[in-house]
Amino acid sequence: MRTSPSIRCRRRTIPVISVLSFLALVLAACGGGTAGSKGSATSASITWWGWTPTTQVAAQYIQAFNKVYPHIHVTYKMLTIAGYNAALRPALASTVGPDVFDVAPGAANGSVETYAPDAVNLEPAIARALGSNWQSKLSPIGVSSMMSGGKLTGISVGAVYSGTVWVNKNLFDQYHLSPPASLTQWVSDCQTFKAHGVGCFVQGVGQTAFNEDTLQAISDDIQPGVWARAIQGQVPWTSPVVVRALTTWKSLFSDGIMEKGALGVQQYPDASNDFVSGKYAMVMMGTWYMQYSTPSGLSSAISAAGVGQPKNFTMLPIAFPDVAGAGHPGALYGDADYGLAVNSRSSHQAAATTFAVWLGTSTAGQQQVANALNDIASLKGVQPNWPNISLVSPGGQQPVLSKLISNAVLSSEPRLATVSPNLQLAIGVASTTVASGSATPAQAAATLQAAAAKMPHHGAV
Amino acid sequence: MTRTAADPAVRSSPKPGSRRAPAGRAAARTRRRGLRRSSGLPWILPAFIFVVGTVYYCIGYTGYISTLSWDGVSPTPQHVGLANYAQVFHDPVFWDTIRHTVVFFAVTFTVQTAIGFSFAALLHSKVRLPNLYKVIIFIPVVLAPATMAPIFRQIFSATGQFNTILEHIGLGALAQPWLAQSSTALPVIMAITVWEWTGVTFILYFAAMTQIEPEILEAARIDGASGVTALARIVWPAVRGTTIALGMLSVIGALKTFDVPYLVTTGGPNFATEFLGTFIYRVSIPQAEVGYGAALSIMLLILALGGALAFGLRGTRRS
Repeated sequence: MRTSPSIRCRRRTIPVISVLSFLALVLAACGGGTAGSKGSATSASITWWGWTPTTQVAAQYIQAFNKVYPHIHVTYKMLTIAGYNAALRPALASTVGPDVFDVAPGAANGSVETYAPDAVNLEPAIARALGSNWQSKLSPIGVSSMMSGGKLTGISVGAVYSGTVWVNKNLFDQYHLSPPASLTQWVSDCQTFKAHGVGCFVQGVGQTAFNEDTLQAISDDIQPGVWARAIQGQVPWTSPVVVRALTTWKSLFSDGIMEKGALGVQQYPDASNDFVSGKYAMVMMGTWYMQYSTPSGLSSAISAAGVGQPKNFTMLPIAFPDVAGAGHPGALYGDADYGLAVNSRSSHQAAATTFAVWLGTSTAGQQQVANALNDIASLKGVQPNWPNISLVSPGGQQPVLSKLISNAVLSSEPRLATVSPNLQLAIGVASTTVASGSATPAQAAATLQAAAAKMPHHGAV
Repeated sequence: MTRTAADPAVRSSPKPGSRRAPAGRAAARTRRRGLRRSSGLPWILPAFIFVVGTVYYCIGYTGYISTLSWDGVSPTPQHVGLANYAQVFHDPVFWDTIRHTVVFFAVTFTVQTAIGFSFAALLHSKVRLPNLYKVIIFIPVVLAPATMAPIFRQIFSATGQFNTILEHIGLGALAQPWLAQSSTALPVIMAITVWEWTGVTFILYFAAMTQIEPEILEAARIDGASGVTALARIVWPAVRGTTIALGMLSVIGALKTFDVPYLVTTGGPNFATEFLGTFIYRVSIPQAEVGYGAALSIMLLILALGGALAFGLRGTRRS
């Protein structure tokens, strides 16, 4: 069939145009945008990615921030703990990542060490805000843990401490029980709860990072500080204290304290949901759980746990029971919870820095942090403004929470900040193999020691 | 070598001095058609560049990363040659994942094939409301695993509905924390997978069975073959191609398994439900050993290709 020259010409032209268009698109995509502009410090739309705080608490921070900086619009995107690194790595490698993002000490999530190359050095900004002696005005744990290679990678928003068990006071009152102070009492309380069809103590042993909290509490109970020194490689994991801690950990399962099937439970959301929905009387959580002492915080958590008509109850932190009978209960250990880093590729660096500095160093911002009861404020001297904080049971909760905060800030024992991911994995394996009975405490300790010995710095960060 | 008349080159060569023969004209037409065909290249070029750019480039880049010791963001990765591959073969968790994958494939493929084939055969017989059954069987396929994972965690927990049912039917002695034990966690993951994917097996068998001539089955019946005999001797061989295709997909699917174990058990307890997919994720993201994760990814690619080829060759030989 003959075709006219014009049709033949069109047939040749269309593919050429399509190829050129495609190449143009590819070149345009490869070119990307320039990230040279730092933007305005008082007007921009910025995004903030984090695994903490909750969206409700973040909204409170942003609302307070906008009273001072009304032209900086902050959009908070909360990611799961497990999915944070997976989402953040490619985002930071691109030009469309968040302007502000959470970083944390240690290597578990949002590691300061890992993301330091992608973050702006915030030291000049913080020095402008607080003066040359800025370090003296902040919690030391919030400064040292945010430094990487001499660079202030993030501004610490606050600290969290663990070593506490949270109890549902309503359930204890209902069955005329006292919170456990010893292993014997703990076992007895659990028998009573179970006899009434109520779960006793819940922990998501399947999410092994939280097992470290319980193991560190037990170890500190036996001999304070040994666990932290083992992380640093100063004490072998085969130390009798660690072996005894693992033995006691095992007894939590065999004595009926730990819920049945704990190895298949995740701390978040399973264990937390089980506790806030009233199915269990106790849960192993740290100071970050203070946020559920408020009526709105607790009812939101109960709703999120799938309860149709939330009914608030009084929850209180207690010292980890003296399970070893060694007379050293109640140790608290903590780290900077998270800091805000500014993306070095952001085109709104100035506005992002304004937000990070305001939340981490200003009295107004830190008061918001303290009042949210999610973190203990990083700026020295800032305490929760109790008269302005609504608690479920003010008379019962406020003195206990005040005491918890006072005790926590005195602690200098690190929690996860110095644990590398590989050591964390090895500790997790030790905890689950002992719990399941597939290794004795001594065997698990020996395996842990062998694994740590192969790691640089024995697994410490 | 002497050229013969059968040689296309000989047949198409016009004799010198002669007018253009019909064969010569045909050859010229072929050459023109060839030229016209070559002009199709620009049409496929964008897709070609896209495929090469996204798929093969990524595979090559993963291969390159597998020679690095790198956390994924550091600007100074270290070249370690094949050290990551050596580490793979000395890693007991890797061999665990291989064992889990083999067991997972054998069980899920066998059970899905048995159930899918049986349902397809049943629904080809005269049953009431066949479309309702088809929808019921297929619904799990379209449900997102992320949606179902918390439900399965609840169902199979120590205080979950599965144990409640066992207790109510007098089998309380069998009740146990299914997801908390290494011995039962993997069977639960396999059961969830069978529940989720049997719909696909069923649909493919159902479609394959519609291609069988009814006269053949009728002739078998006249010859006195029972329903089971007809299924075993006529239907099963007739859908062999579908079975092979499902086998290949199952091999690849087993090697790529990620969502159900990650969402339901996070690979635990004690790596009892760790698969290559979850292992690669854990190594690459939480442990930030991207080079080692890339080496595992390349191993996965090799195993997937090998498995699919083995199934394909087996199918070809039988044909």
